[in-house]
Amino acid sequence: MSLLQSLKNAVRQRSIHVCYVDTGSCNGCDIEVLACLSPRYDLEQYGIYVHNNPREADVLLVIGGVTPQWEDKLKMVWDKIPEPKAAISIGNCPISGCVFSRPLTLTNAPAKSYIPIAAEVPGCPPRPTEIIQAILSVAPLIFKDWEDRK
Amino acid sequence: MKKIVDVSIPLGPVHPIFKEPCRIKCETFGEQVLAAEVELGYMKKGIERIMVGRPWQEVMFLAERVCGICSVIHNFVFIETMEKISGVGVPDRAAYLRVLANELDRMQSHLIANFSYCYTIEHETIGMYLLNIRETVMDMLEYLTGARVTCAYIVPGGVRFDPDAEDLSRIMKAMDEVERETRRYMDMFEYGPLIGLRSKGIGIMTREQSEFIHAVGPTARACGITVDCRSNHPTYQMLKFTPIVRTEGDNYARVMIRFQEVLQSADLIKTIIQTLPEGKIRGGGTIGRGETTHQGEAPRGELTYRIKSDTHGRIQEISIQTPSIMNIEACARYMIPGVTSIADVTSAYISSDPCIACTER
Repeated sequence: MSLLQSLKNAVRQRSIHVCYVDTGSCNGCDIEVLACLSPRYDLEQYGIYVHNNPREADVLLVIGGVTPQWEDKLKMVWDKIPEPKAAISIGNCPISGCVFSRPLTLTNAPAKSYIPIAAEVPGCPPRPTEIIQAILSVAPLIFKDWEDRK
Repeated sequence: MKKIVDVSIPLGPVHPIFKEPCRIKCETFGEQVLAAEVELGYMKKGIERIMVGRPWQEVMFLAERVCGICSVIHNFVFIETMEKISGVGVPDRAAYLRVLANELDRMQSHLIANFSYCYTIEHETIGMYLLNIRETVMDMLEYLTGARVTCAYIVPGGVRFDPDAEDLSRIMKAMDEVERETRRYMDMFEYGPLIGLRSKGIGIMTREQSEFIHAVGPTARACGITVDCRSNHPTYQMLKFTPIVRTEGDNYARVMIRFQEVLQSADLIKTIIQTLPEGKIRGGGTIGRGETTHQGEAPRGELTYRIKSDTHGRIQEISIQTPSIMNIEACARYMIPGVTSIADVTSAYISSDPCIACTER
Protein backbone atom coordinates (compact mmCIF):
# COMPACT_ATOMS: atom_id res chain seq x y z
CA MET A 1 0.00 0.00 0.00
CA SER A 2 1.40 3.34 -0.98
CA LEU A 3 1.93 6.15 1.47
CA LEU A 4 -0.68 8.22 -0.33
CA GLN A 5 -3.24 5.45 0.01
CA SER A 6 -2.65 5.00 3.74
CA LEU A 7 -2.97 8.76 4.18
CA LYS A 8 -6.25 8.73 2.28
CA ASN A 9 -7.52 5.81 4.37
CA ALA A 10 -6.74 7.66 7.59
CA VAL A 11 -8.45 10.85 6.43
CA ARG A 12 -11.54 9.14 5.00
CA GLN A 13 -12.15 7.26 8.21
CA ARG A 14 -12.76 10.47 10.12
CA SER A 15 -14.39 12.60 7.46
CA ILE A 16 -17.69 11.22 6.23
CA HIS A 17 -20.08 13.66 4.60
CA VAL A 18 -23.70 12.61 4.61
CA CYS A 19 -26.60 13.56 2.35
CA TYR A 20 -30.10 12.29 2.97
CA VAL A 21 -33.00 12.04 0.55
CA ASP A 22 -36.57 11.46 1.59
CA THR A 23 -38.21 9.38 -1.12
CA GLY A 24 -41.67 9.22 0.44
CA SER A 25 -41.43 8.33 4.11
CA CYS A 26 -43.73 9.37 6.96
CA ASN A 27 -41.09 11.77 8.39
CA GLY A 28 -40.45 9.48 11.35
CA CYS A 29 -37.03 8.37 10.06
CA ASP A 30 -36.18 11.94 9.01
CA ILE A 31 -36.49 13.27 12.51
CA GLU A 32 -34.44 10.37 13.86
CA VAL A 33 -31.67 11.32 11.42
CA LEU A 34 -31.99 14.93 12.62
CA ALA A 35 -31.86 13.73 16.23
CA CYS A 36 -28.40 12.29 15.45
CA LEU A 37 -27.20 15.89 15.09
CA SER A 38 -28.14 16.72 18.67
CA PRO A 39 -25.37 17.14 21.25
CA ARG A 40 -26.44 13.92 22.97
CA TYR A 41 -25.57 11.68 20.00
CA ASP A 42 -23.09 14.16 18.53
CA LEU A 43 -22.41 12.89 15.01
CA GLU A 44 -19.48 15.24 14.53
CA GLN A 45 -17.31 13.57 17.17
CA TYR A 46 -17.05 10.62 14.74
CA GLY A 47 -16.24 12.96 11.87
CA ILE A 48 -19.65 12.66 10.24
CA TYR A 49 -21.09 15.86 8.79
CA VAL A 50 -24.63 16.22 7.50
CA HIS A 51 -24.54 18.61 4.54
CA ASN A 52 -27.48 17.40 2.52
CA ASN A 53 -25.69 18.30 -0.68
CA PRO A 54 -25.11 15.35 -3.06
CA ARG A 55 -22.14 17.02 -4.77
CA GLU A 56 -19.98 16.90 -1.64
CA ALA A 57 -21.35 13.77 0.00
CA ASP A 58 -19.74 10.37 0.60
CA VAL A 59 -22.72 8.57 2.08
CA LEU A 60 -26.32 8.77 0.87
CA LEU A 61 -29.05 7.95 3.37
CA VAL A 62 -32.18 6.79 1.57
CA ILE A 63 -35.39 7.18 3.57
CA GLY A 64 -38.82 6.00 2.48
CA GLY A 65 -40.41 3.60 0.01
CA VAL A 66 -39.77 5.06 -3.43
CA THR A 67 -42.65 7.15 -4.87
CA PRO A 68 -43.16 7.56 -8.66
CA GLN A 69 -41.56 11.03 -8.66
CA TRP A 70 -38.35 9.61 -7.21
CA GLU A 71 -37.96 6.58 -9.47
CA ASP A 72 -35.69 8.46 -11.88
CA LYS A 73 -34.55 11.22 -9.50
CA LEU A 74 -33.05 8.82 -6.96
CA LYS A 75 -30.66 7.57 -9.65
CA MET A 76 -29.88 11.17 -10.60
CA VAL A 77 -29.00 12.09 -7.01
CA TRP A 78 -26.86 8.93 -6.73
CA ASP A 79 -25.00 9.80 -9.96
CA LYS A 80 -24.17 13.27 -8.63
CA ILE A 81 -22.23 11.87 -5.67
CA PRO A 82 -18.48 11.61 -6.37
CA GLU A 83 -16.67 8.27 -5.93
CA PRO A 84 -16.04 6.57 -3.53
CA LYS A 85 -19.61 6.47 -2.27
CA ALA A 86 -22.03 4.30 -0.33
CA ALA A 87 -25.79 4.28 0.11
CA ILE A 88 -27.47 3.26 3.36
CA SER A 89 -31.23 2.79 3.60
CA ILE A 90 -32.89 3.89 6.83
CA GLY A 91 -36.06 2.26 8.12
CA ASN A 92 -38.34 -0.50 6.90
CA CYS A 93 -39.78 1.46 3.96
CA PRO A 94 -36.76 1.21 1.58
CA ILE A 95 -36.43 -2.50 2.43
CA SER A 96 -39.98 -3.74 2.00
CA GLY A 97 -42.35 -0.77 1.91
CA CYS A 98 -43.41 -1.28 5.57
CA VAL A 99 -47.10 -0.35 6.11
CA PHE A 100 -47.27 1.19 2.65
CA SER A 101 -46.66 -2.16 0.96
CA ARG A 102 -50.34 -2.90 0.37
CA PRO A 103 -52.62 -3.06 -2.68
CA LEU A 104 -53.30 0.36 -4.27
CA THR A 105 -50.17 1.92 -2.81
CA LEU A 106 -48.16 4.41 -4.86
CA THR A 107 -44.78 3.52 -3.38
CA ASN A 108 -42.54 1.11 -5.19
CA ALA A 109 -40.04 -0.45 -2.80
CA PRO A 110 -37.32 -1.72 -2.48
CA ALA A 111 -34.83 1.08 -2.97
CA LYS A 112 -32.11 -1.35 -3.97
CA SER A 113 -33.79 -1.94 -7.30
CA TYR A 114 -32.85 1.66 -8.24
CA ILE A 115 -29.41 2.18 -6.70
CA PRO A 116 -26.89 -0.16 -5.05
CA ILE A 117 -27.51 -0.14 -1.28
CA ALA A 118 -24.56 -1.03 0.94
CA ALA A 119 -26.42 -1.45 4.22
CA GLU A 120 -29.98 -1.51 5.49
CA VAL A 121 -31.07 -0.33 8.93
CA PRO A 122 -34.44 -1.88 9.78
CA GLY A 123 -36.85 -0.32 12.27
CA CYS A 124 -39.92 1.87 12.16
CA PRO A 125 -38.10 4.19 12.86
CA PRO A 126 -34.63 2.93 13.87
CA ARG A 127 -33.01 4.60 16.86
CA PRO A 128 -30.42 7.35 16.23
CA THR A 129 -27.67 5.15 17.71
CA GLU A 130 -28.42 2.42 15.17
CA ILE A 131 -28.17 4.92 12.32
CA ILE A 132 -24.79 6.18 13.56
CA GLN A 133 -23.57 2.62 14.03
CA ALA A 134 -24.55 1.70 10.47
CA ILE A 135 -22.72 4.69 8.98
CA LEU A 136 -19.62 4.05 11.08
CA SER A 137 -19.42 0.35 10.32
CA VAL A 138 -20.10 0.54 6.57
CA ALA A 139 -18.41 3.70 5.31
CA PRO A 140 -14.77 2.94 6.33
CA LEU A 141 -15.08 -0.59 4.89
CA ILE A 142 -16.10 0.72 1.50
CA PHE A 143 -13.66 3.62 1.39
CA LYS A 144 -10.64 1.58 2.52
CA ASP A 145 -7.98 1.16 -0.21
CA TRP A 146 -10.38 2.53 -2.81
CA GLU A 147 -7.70 3.57 -5.31
CA ASP A 148 -5.72 0.32 -4.91
CA ARG A 149 -8.75 -1.86 -5.47
CA LYS A 150 -9.95 0.11 -8.46
CA MET B 1 -48.30 35.87 -14.96
CA LYS B 2 -46.71 38.59 -17.12
CA LYS B 3 -43.97 40.32 -15.23
CA ILE B 4 -40.52 41.62 -15.93
CA VAL B 5 -38.49 38.80 -14.48
CA ASP B 6 -34.72 38.64 -14.24
CA VAL B 7 -34.42 34.99 -13.48
CA SER B 8 -36.61 32.19 -12.24
CA ILE B 9 -34.88 30.37 -9.40
CA PRO B 10 -35.94 26.87 -8.37
CA LEU B 11 -35.10 25.71 -4.84
CA GLY B 12 -35.24 21.98 -4.18
CA PRO B 13 -36.31 19.19 -4.20
CA VAL B 14 -33.01 18.20 -2.57
CA HIS B 15 -31.85 21.31 -0.73
CA PRO B 16 -29.52 21.65 2.26
CA ILE B 17 -32.21 23.04 4.53
CA PHE B 18 -35.26 21.09 3.42
CA LYS B 19 -36.06 18.12 5.60
CA GLU B 20 -38.49 16.89 2.98
CA PRO B 21 -38.54 17.22 -0.78
CA CYS B 22 -40.51 20.05 -2.34
CA ARG B 23 -39.69 22.65 -4.95
CA ILE B 24 -40.14 26.40 -4.57
CA LYS B 25 -39.98 28.31 -7.82
CA CYS B 26 -39.19 31.99 -7.27
CA GLU B 27 -39.58 34.67 -9.91
CA THR B 28 -37.01 37.30 -9.02
CA PHE B 29 -36.16 40.84 -10.04
CA GLY B 30 -32.63 41.34 -8.83
CA GLU B 31 -32.66 39.89 -5.34
CA GLN B 32 -36.31 40.73 -4.78
CA VAL B 33 -38.81 37.91 -5.07
CA LEU B 34 -41.91 38.90 -7.04
CA ALA B 35 -43.85 35.66 -6.96
CA ALA B 36 -43.40 32.13 -5.74
CA GLU B 37 -44.93 28.78 -6.44
CA VAL B 38 -44.61 25.64 -4.35
CA GLU B 39 -44.55 22.41 -6.32
CA LEU B 40 -45.60 19.34 -4.37
CA GLY B 41 -46.02 15.69 -5.28
CA TYR B 42 -42.71 14.09 -4.32
CA MET B 43 -44.13 12.25 -1.32
CA LYS B 44 -47.56 11.00 -2.40
CA LYS B 45 -47.90 7.51 -0.96
CA GLY B 46 -51.66 7.04 -1.35
CA ILE B 47 -52.24 6.27 2.33
CA GLU B 48 -56.01 6.96 2.18
CA ARG B 49 -56.34 4.45 -0.68
CA ILE B 50 -54.57 1.84 1.45
CA MET B 51 -56.85 2.57 4.45
CA VAL B 52 -60.14 1.92 2.66
CA GLY B 53 -61.62 -1.52 3.32
CA ARG B 54 -59.36 -2.33 6.26
CA PRO B 55 -60.40 -2.89 9.90
CA TRP B 56 -59.75 -0.06 12.38
CA GLN B 57 -57.08 -2.12 14.16
CA GLU B 58 -54.95 -1.83 11.02
CA VAL B 59 -55.93 1.71 10.05
CA MET B 60 -54.95 2.91 13.53
CA PHE B 61 -51.29 2.17 12.73
CA LEU B 62 -51.61 3.58 9.22
CA ALA B 63 -53.09 6.82 10.62
CA GLU B 64 -50.03 7.22 12.83
CA ARG B 65 -47.80 6.99 9.81
CA VAL B 66 -49.53 9.85 8.00
CA CYS B 67 -47.02 12.08 9.75
CA GLY B 68 -44.09 10.88 11.81
CA ILE B 69 -43.43 14.21 13.55
CA CYS B 70 -46.94 14.62 14.96
CA SER B 71 -47.87 10.94 15.13
CA VAL B 72 -49.66 11.16 18.52
CA ILE B 73 -52.26 13.69 17.32
CA HIS B 74 -53.09 11.58 14.23
CA ASN B 75 -53.59 8.59 16.52
CA PHE B 76 -55.61 10.79 18.94
CA VAL B 77 -57.97 12.26 16.33
CA PHE B 78 -58.50 8.95 14.49
CA ILE B 79 -59.40 7.12 17.70
CA GLU B 80 -61.66 9.96 18.88
CA THR B 81 -63.48 9.85 15.54
CA MET B 82 -64.03 6.11 15.89
CA GLU B 83 -65.24 6.61 19.47
CA LYS B 84 -67.61 9.37 18.34
CA ILE B 85 -69.06 7.02 15.68
CA SER B 86 -69.62 4.19 18.14
CA GLY B 87 -70.41 6.09 21.36
CA VAL B 88 -67.50 4.66 23.35
CA GLY B 89 -66.69 6.54 26.55
CA VAL B 90 -63.28 7.21 28.05
CA PRO B 91 -62.36 7.05 31.77
CA ASP B 92 -61.17 10.37 33.25
CA ARG B 93 -57.65 9.14 33.94
CA ALA B 94 -57.25 7.95 30.36
CA ALA B 95 -58.55 11.28 28.99
CA TYR B 96 -55.90 13.13 31.00
CA LEU B 97 -53.13 10.72 29.97
CA ARG B 98 -54.07 11.20 26.31
CA VAL B 99 -53.61 14.95 26.67
CA LEU B 100 -50.31 14.34 28.49
CA ALA B 101 -48.94 12.27 25.56
CA ASN B 102 -50.32 14.76 23.05
CA GLU B 103 -48.67 17.74 24.74
CA LEU B 104 -45.31 15.95 24.95
CA ASP B 105 -45.59 15.30 21.23
CA ARG B 106 -46.47 18.94 20.56
CA MET B 107 -43.43 20.10 22.52
CA GLN B 108 -41.02 17.96 20.52
CA SER B 109 -42.65 19.00 17.25
CA HIS B 110 -42.38 22.72 18.08
CA LEU B 111 -38.80 22.31 19.27
CA ILE B 112 -37.74 20.61 16.04
CA ALA B 113 -39.55 23.31 14.02
CA ASN B 114 -37.65 26.03 15.88
CA PHE B 115 -34.42 24.07 15.44
CA SER B 116 -35.04 24.02 11.68
CA TYR B 117 -35.62 27.77 11.67
CA CYS B 118 -32.47 28.52 13.67
CA TYR B 119 -30.52 26.18 11.39
CA THR B 120 -31.90 28.01 8.36
CA ILE B 121 -30.84 31.45 9.58
CA GLU B 122 -27.41 29.93 10.31
CA HIS B 123 -27.70 30.23 14.08
CA GLU B 124 -26.70 26.66 14.82
CA THR B 125 -25.91 27.27 18.48
CA ILE B 126 -29.53 27.82 19.54
CA GLY B 127 -30.57 25.06 17.13
CA MET B 128 -28.33 22.52 18.86
CA TYR B 129 -29.47 23.67 22.32
CA LEU B 130 -33.07 23.15 21.21
CA LEU B 131 -32.33 19.67 19.83
CA ASN B 132 -30.79 18.80 23.17
CA ILE B 133 -33.90 19.72 25.17
CA ARG B 134 -35.99 17.96 22.57
CA GLU B 135 -34.13 14.77 23.48
CA THR B 136 -35.28 15.20 27.09
CA VAL B 137 -38.88 15.48 25.86
CA MET B 138 -38.43 12.44 23.60
CA ASP B 139 -37.10 10.47 26.57
CA MET B 140 -40.25 11.29 28.53
CA LEU B 141 -42.43 10.33 25.57
CA GLU B 142 -40.57 7.02 25.35
CA TYR B 143 -40.87 6.58 29.10
CA LEU B 144 -44.64 7.10 29.01
CA THR B 145 -45.56 5.30 25.79
CA GLY B 146 -42.73 2.87 25.09
CA ALA B 147 -41.56 4.31 21.76
CA ARG B 148 -39.91 7.47 20.54
CA VAL B 149 -41.88 8.24 17.40
CA THR B 150 -44.73 5.93 16.40
CA CYS B 151 -46.02 4.87 19.79
CA ALA B 152 -49.73 3.87 19.26
CA TYR B 153 -50.43 4.89 22.86
CA ILE B 154 -54.10 5.76 22.40
CA VAL B 155 -56.63 2.96 21.79
CA PRO B 156 -60.46 3.12 21.69
CA GLY B 157 -61.79 3.50 25.23
CA GLY B 158 -58.52 4.51 26.83
CA VAL B 159 -54.75 4.32 26.67
CA ARG B 160 -52.27 1.46 26.71
CA PHE B 161 -50.06 2.00 29.75
CA ASP B 162 -50.65 3.47 33.19
CA PRO B 163 -47.76 5.47 34.68
CA ASP B 164 -47.25 5.12 38.46
CA ALA B 165 -46.36 7.90 40.91
CA GLU B 166 -42.62 7.49 40.33
CA ASP B 167 -43.02 7.79 36.55
CA LEU B 168 -45.12 10.91 36.95
CA SER B 169 -42.62 12.56 39.28
CA ARG B 170 -39.88 11.86 36.75
CA ILE B 171 -41.92 13.53 34.00
CA MET B 172 -42.59 16.45 36.37
CA LYS B 173 -38.87 16.89 37.02
CA ALA B 174 -38.09 16.76 33.31
CA MET B 175 -40.75 19.39 32.63
CA ASP B 176 -39.15 21.73 35.18
CA GLU B 177 -35.83 21.34 33.40
CA VAL B 178 -37.33 21.82 29.93
CA GLU B 179 -39.18 24.93 31.07
CA ARG B 180 -36.06 26.47 32.58
CA GLU B 181 -33.93 25.74 29.51
CA THR B 182 -36.62 26.87 27.04
CA ARG B 183 -36.94 30.20 28.86
CA ARG B 184 -33.19 30.66 28.59
CA TYR B 185 -33.07 29.97 24.84
CA MET B 186 -36.22 32.01 24.28
CA ASP B 187 -34.44 34.99 25.86
CA MET B 188 -31.46 34.39 23.57
CA PHE B 189 -33.78 34.33 20.58
CA GLU B 190 -35.75 37.37 21.73
CA TYR B 191 -32.80 39.68 22.30
CA GLY B 192 -30.26 38.35 19.77
CA PRO B 193 -29.56 41.31 17.43
CA LEU B 194 -28.58 39.13 14.45
CA ILE B 195 -31.63 36.95 14.90
CA GLY B 196 -33.78 40.08 14.95
CA LEU B 197 -32.24 41.25 11.67
CA ARG B 198 -33.01 37.93 9.97
CA SER B 199 -36.48 37.50 11.50
CA LYS B 200 -38.27 40.75 12.37
CA GLY B 201 -40.35 42.25 9.60
CA ILE B 202 -39.59 39.42 7.16
CA GLY B 203 -42.26 37.23 5.61
CA ILE B 204 -45.13 39.37 6.87
CA MET B 205 -48.68 38.11 6.49
CA THR B 206 -51.53 40.34 7.67
CA ARG B 207 -54.63 39.21 9.49
CA GLU B 208 -56.86 39.78 6.45
CA GLN B 209 -54.58 37.77 4.17
CA SER B 210 -54.40 35.02 6.73
CA GLU B 211 -58.20 34.86 6.98
CA PHE B 212 -58.55 34.85 3.19
CA ILE B 213 -56.13 31.95 2.67
CA HIS B 214 -57.44 30.00 5.72
CA ALA B 215 -54.12 29.76 7.53
CA VAL B 216 -54.27 27.57 10.63
CA GLY B 217 -52.28 26.80 13.75
CA PRO B 218 -49.32 28.88 14.95
CA THR B 219 -49.08 30.53 11.51
CA ALA B 220 -52.59 31.98 11.95
CA ARG B 221 -52.18 32.71 15.65
CA ALA B 222 -49.04 34.74 14.87
CA CYS B 223 -51.24 37.03 12.73
CA GLY B 224 -53.72 37.72 15.52
CA ILE B 225 -56.41 35.13 14.76
CA THR B 226 -57.67 33.29 17.83
CA VAL B 227 -58.16 29.83 16.38
CA ASP B 228 -57.32 26.67 18.28
CA CYS B 229 -59.28 23.42 18.21
CA ARG B 230 -58.06 22.60 21.68
CA SER B 231 -60.52 25.20 23.05
CA ASN B 232 -63.40 22.92 21.94
CA HIS B 233 -61.98 19.76 23.46
CA PRO B 234 -63.64 18.75 26.79
CA THR B 235 -60.39 17.69 28.52
CA TYR B 236 -58.62 20.91 27.56
CA GLN B 237 -61.64 22.87 28.76
CA MET B 238 -61.29 21.18 32.14
CA LEU B 239 -57.64 22.25 32.18
CA LYS B 240 -58.74 25.87 31.44
CA PHE B 241 -56.80 26.13 28.19
CA THR B 242 -56.60 29.50 26.42
CA PRO B 243 -54.82 29.93 23.06
CA ILE B 244 -51.74 32.18 22.74
CA VAL B 245 -52.01 34.92 20.12
CA ARG B 246 -49.44 37.34 18.75
CA THR B 247 -50.06 40.15 16.28
CA GLU B 248 -46.84 40.83 14.35
CA GLY B 249 -47.32 38.17 11.64
CA ASP B 250 -43.63 37.89 10.68
CA ASN B 251 -41.04 35.11 10.97
CA TYR B 252 -40.13 36.24 14.47
CA ALA B 253 -43.74 35.99 15.71
CA ARG B 254 -44.18 32.52 14.26
CA VAL B 255 -41.09 31.20 16.00
CA MET B 256 -41.82 33.00 19.28
CA ILE B 257 -45.38 31.66 19.40
CA ARG B 258 -43.97 28.14 19.17
CA PHE B 259 -41.62 28.87 22.06
CA GLN B 260 -44.57 30.18 24.09
CA GLU B 261 -46.61 27.10 23.26
CA VAL B 262 -43.80 24.85 24.47
CA LEU B 263 -43.96 26.65 27.82
CA GLN B 264 -47.75 26.41 27.81
CA SER B 265 -47.57 22.67 27.11
CA ALA B 266 -45.14 22.23 30.00
CA ASP B 267 -47.62 24.07 32.24
CA LEU B 268 -50.49 21.88 31.01
CA ILE B 269 -48.47 18.72 31.70
CA LYS B 270 -47.69 19.89 35.22
CA THR B 271 -51.38 20.65 35.85
CA ILE B 272 -52.32 17.20 34.52
CA ILE B 273 -49.82 15.44 36.79
CA GLN B 274 -51.03 17.41 39.83
CA THR B 275 -54.72 16.76 39.17
CA LEU B 276 -54.58 13.26 37.61
CA PRO B 277 -57.66 11.36 38.83
CA GLU B 278 -57.36 7.77 40.06
CA GLY B 279 -59.19 4.95 38.31
CA LYS B 280 -59.13 2.69 35.29
CA ILE B 281 -57.25 3.58 32.10
CA ARG B 282 -59.43 1.50 29.80
CA GLY B 283 -63.18 1.28 29.54
CA GLY B 284 -65.08 -1.12 27.31
CA GLY B 285 -66.83 -0.70 24.01
CA THR B 286 -67.20 -1.93 20.45
CA ILE B 287 -66.47 0.01 17.31
CA GLY B 288 -69.53 0.09 15.09
CA ARG B 289 -71.14 1.66 12.11
CA GLY B 290 -71.51 5.34 11.30
CA GLU B 291 -70.15 8.40 9.62
CA THR B 292 -68.76 11.53 11.23
CA THR B 293 -66.25 14.35 11.10
CA HIS B 294 -63.94 15.25 13.94
CA GLN B 295 -61.31 17.93 14.47
CA GLY B 296 -58.22 18.18 16.60
CA GLU B 297 -55.36 20.62 16.94
CA ALA B 298 -52.11 19.24 15.53
CA PRO B 299 -48.87 21.11 16.26
CA ARG B 300 -49.24 22.76 12.85
CA GLY B 301 -52.96 23.54 13.04
CA GLU B 302 -56.37 22.07 12.56
CA LEU B 303 -56.56 18.40 11.62
CA THR B 304 -59.83 16.91 10.35
CA TYR B 305 -60.82 13.29 9.86
CA ARG B 306 -64.02 12.24 8.08
CA ILE B 307 -64.69 8.54 8.43
CA LYS B 308 -67.46 6.18 7.33
CA SER B 309 -67.31 2.72 8.85
CA ASP B 310 -69.39 -0.46 8.60
CA THR B 311 -70.82 -2.67 11.38
CA HIS B 312 -67.56 -4.57 11.93
CA GLY B 313 -65.51 -1.40 12.28
CA ARG B 314 -64.03 -1.57 8.80
CA ILE B 315 -63.27 1.76 7.15
CA GLN B 316 -65.41 2.33 4.09
CA GLU B 317 -64.52 5.93 3.34
CA ILE B 318 -61.90 8.16 4.86
CA SER B 319 -60.62 11.62 4.09
CA ILE B 320 -57.99 13.48 6.05
CA GLN B 321 -57.41 17.21 5.95
CA THR B 322 -54.03 18.18 7.31
CA PRO B 323 -52.99 21.69 8.35
CA SER B 324 -49.84 22.18 6.27
CA ILE B 325 -51.58 22.50 2.91
CA MET B 326 -53.15 25.83 3.91
CA ASN B 327 -49.94 27.09 5.48
CA ILE B 328 -47.83 26.18 2.45
CA GLU B 329 -50.27 28.04 0.22
CA ALA B 330 -50.19 31.06 2.56
CA CYS B 331 -46.42 30.89 2.40
CA ALA B 332 -46.25 30.86 -1.40
CA ARG B 333 -48.88 33.54 -1.79
CA TYR B 334 -48.12 36.09 0.92
CA MET B 335 -44.97 35.38 2.93
CA ILE B 336 -42.39 34.75 0.22
CA PRO B 337 -43.36 37.45 -2.35
CA GLY B 338 -41.94 40.73 -1.14
CA VAL B 339 -38.90 39.39 0.69
CA THR B 340 -35.84 41.32 -0.34
CA SER B 341 -33.39 38.46 -0.61
CA ILE B 342 -33.33 34.86 -1.83
CA ALA B 343 -31.82 33.85 1.51
CA ASP B 344 -35.06 34.92 3.21
CA VAL B 345 -37.22 32.67 1.00
CA THR B 346 -36.10 29.53 2.80
CA SER B 347 -36.38 31.10 6.25
CA ALA B 348 -39.92 32.38 5.54
CA TYR B 349 -40.86 28.95 4.24
CA ILE B 350 -39.41 27.08 7.22
CA SER B 351 -40.95 29.53 9.71
CA SER B 352 -44.43 28.35 8.68
CA ASP B 353 -43.33 24.82 9.73
CA PRO B 354 -44.39 22.92 6.60
CA CYS B 355 -44.82 19.16 6.81
CA ILE B 356 -44.82 17.68 3.32
CA ALA B 357 -45.34 14.09 4.47
CA CYS B 358 -48.77 14.82 5.97
CA THR B 359 -49.71 17.29 3.22
CA GLU B 360 -49.40 14.70 0.50
CA ARG B 361 -49.96 11.53 2.52
